[in-house]
Amino acid sequence: MTATWRGRIARRPFLLGAFAVLAAIAGTGVLLETPTARRNRAVFFHGNLLGLLDDRDDARLIGASVLKGLKGFDVHETTRLLGGRIGKRALGDVLVGDAVAGRLGDAGGWVLPETLALLCALAAKTG
Amino acid sequence: LNAFLDARAIPADTTFKPDLAIIGGGPAAISLALALADTPIDMLLLESGGLKYEYPTQQLYAGTETGVKYVALDATRLRFLGGCSSHWGGWTRPLDGVDFEERAWLPYSGWPFSRAELEPYFARAQALVEAGPFIYDDAKTWTDVMGAPLKLGPGGVYTSWFQFSKTRDSDLPTQFGARYEQDLKRIPNLKLMLHANVTGIRLANNAGHVDHLDVATLSGKTFTVKPKYTVLATGGIENARLLLASNDVMKPGIGNAHDLVGRFFADHPIPRDTATMVLFDGNLASYYQNQQTAAGAQVRATLSPSQDFIRARQVLGSLTTVEEEVQLDDLGQAAVSATAAALDVDADNVKAYSLGCGMEMMPDPDRRLMLTDKRDALGMPRLELHMTISDLDFARYRDTMKELGRQLLAARTGMVRLNRKTREEWLSVMDWGNHHLGTTRMHKDPRGGVVDANSQVHGVANLYVAGSSVFPTYSASNPTMNLVALTLRLADHLRGLFK
Repeated sequence: MTATWRGRIARRPFLLGAFAVLAAIAGTGVLLETPTARRNRAVFFHGNLLGLLDDRDDARLIGASVLKGLKGFDVHETTRLLGGRIGKRALGDVLVGDAVAGRLGDAGGWVLPETLALLCALAAKTG
Repeated sequence: LNAFLDARAIPADTTFKPDLAIIGGGPAAISLALALADTPIDMLLLESGGLKYEYPTQQLYAGTETGVKYVALDATRLRFLGGCSSHWGGWTRPLDGVDFEERAWLPYSGWPFSRAELEPYFARAQALVEAGPFIYDDAKTWTDVMGAPLKLGPGGVYTSWFQFSKTRDSDLPTQFGARYEQDLKRIPNLKLMLHANVTGIRLANNAGHVDHLDVATLSGKTFTVKPKYTVLATGGIENARLLLASNDVMKPGIGNAHDLVGRFFADHPIPRDTATMVLFDGNLASYYQNQQTAAGAQVRATLSPSQDFIRARQVLGSLTTVEEEVQLDDLGQAAVSATAAALDVDADNVKAYSLGCGMEMMPDPDRRLMLTDKRDALGMPRLELHMTISDLDFARYRDTMKELGRQLLAARTGMVRLNRKTREEWLSVMDWGNHHLGTTRMHKDPRGGVVDANSQVHGVANLYVAGSSVFPTYSASNPTMNLVALTLRLADHLRGLFK
């Protein structure tokens, strides 16, 4: 690569191109991921999520009630949703955020922050 | 003092010709007479009962009920001087501005005037019901002394306030008959007649004004009253009955050209244990559960939807009270424990309380009073009440309770369980306020109401209706103080007619 040739390449187009190549590789990876791999990844993440719950037995009891009011509960989708919502934030702050935003769940009439309700539903479903 | 007259001692064929006949002897009638004391208006107040409960008179109220279970018509009210104030609980709270508004999402809503029209009368009404200084939501000023209010996140439910009627140093609310008996006897321009049952409001042949009233006693006496003006103030049920039964000139009944008299009956449903409220730290100021003195008034806190919330979320009024402490089942304990832990708050002293409430109902023309073929001892047709309550009424209250739960969570203060979901669950815990509303509703248009903005029966020049039967929408607030305020406004209107 000569200095002349290198000089023709503007810095921004080069970076954009590089990002595009990386995105394509990542996208292909997702597309090619097997169901088993996806499930294992979800189990890994929801295992982490359930670790946020203080008492797993309580969570299962609550979750069983939550599930009665949910149609089409999907462990992987819920795991992905909660993983994204919680991230590295303190769970308490996430729950308050739920309440402020009006994201609520129901467990036998108990009005719960949606994130807690879904965590409990995950516990009841998986663990 | 003017001794009260007894209709049983009036000679037959007597005709009284007062300026103003007041039919009834409850809070509206008595407030009207007191308000017009010392005017040139010659008043005759006709009370069906005596000074105390009398079974034969009370039986004149008997009727039948269909639909949703309701209180028997002869048990939900009292027929002697003082009327229903002789069994009221003394709870008072003024109507809110939103109660007067026409709301597109609430069919048949809207008074013909705003709250501002009643405001000049609230202070005097408050004095008549003896509820102390007019404080209500200003009671929050005293929470520094009485204890902090519930900490709620921003939202639609707030701590509002009741006040209570007290007869001087008594624990009982003001019973208008006993309380004002001597005051009524001191009114020089008033004749008050007991045991005088108006059995017919007789219109002139052109139906444009009242010609005379038929009066009868259970002892068999009959006589006539020919007033210049008449105010019908016999309560939300009997007002409709008398108008419907006075059908000799107007066949559908007086004021009933548009089939509105007796329709839109309402009361305040009082379902018990509607929700469970948990407070993680267990701290609850005592004024949420019990009356407390603030600046000379007896107050108690209630959890109420704000006016903005009512408008935005299309809910109705409700006044939620904190009742007794309750224990939680396994699911409740788990829910509280998990939520407190997840919110990172201490719940070692957690307490749970049952919530009750007084609700507002949607206006419903099918919730109505109708005359039957059965007759009472005076030959008057007895009533049938068809009672309804909509699932939407319950759903709207649930929305308010859910909002309370949301606000408690947002503040990390506590949480709520909604205890009633199905219609059967709601009806199983239903009680009623015995507040009879709406049956002669007020509307500027005769097609929308029985009386106009001045409480005059549409099309009948000298006939007025007083009391909560004219409320077109009902609020959740208890009606007594509000109907007294409305009656004082009517008194000013009548005073103007005699100038």
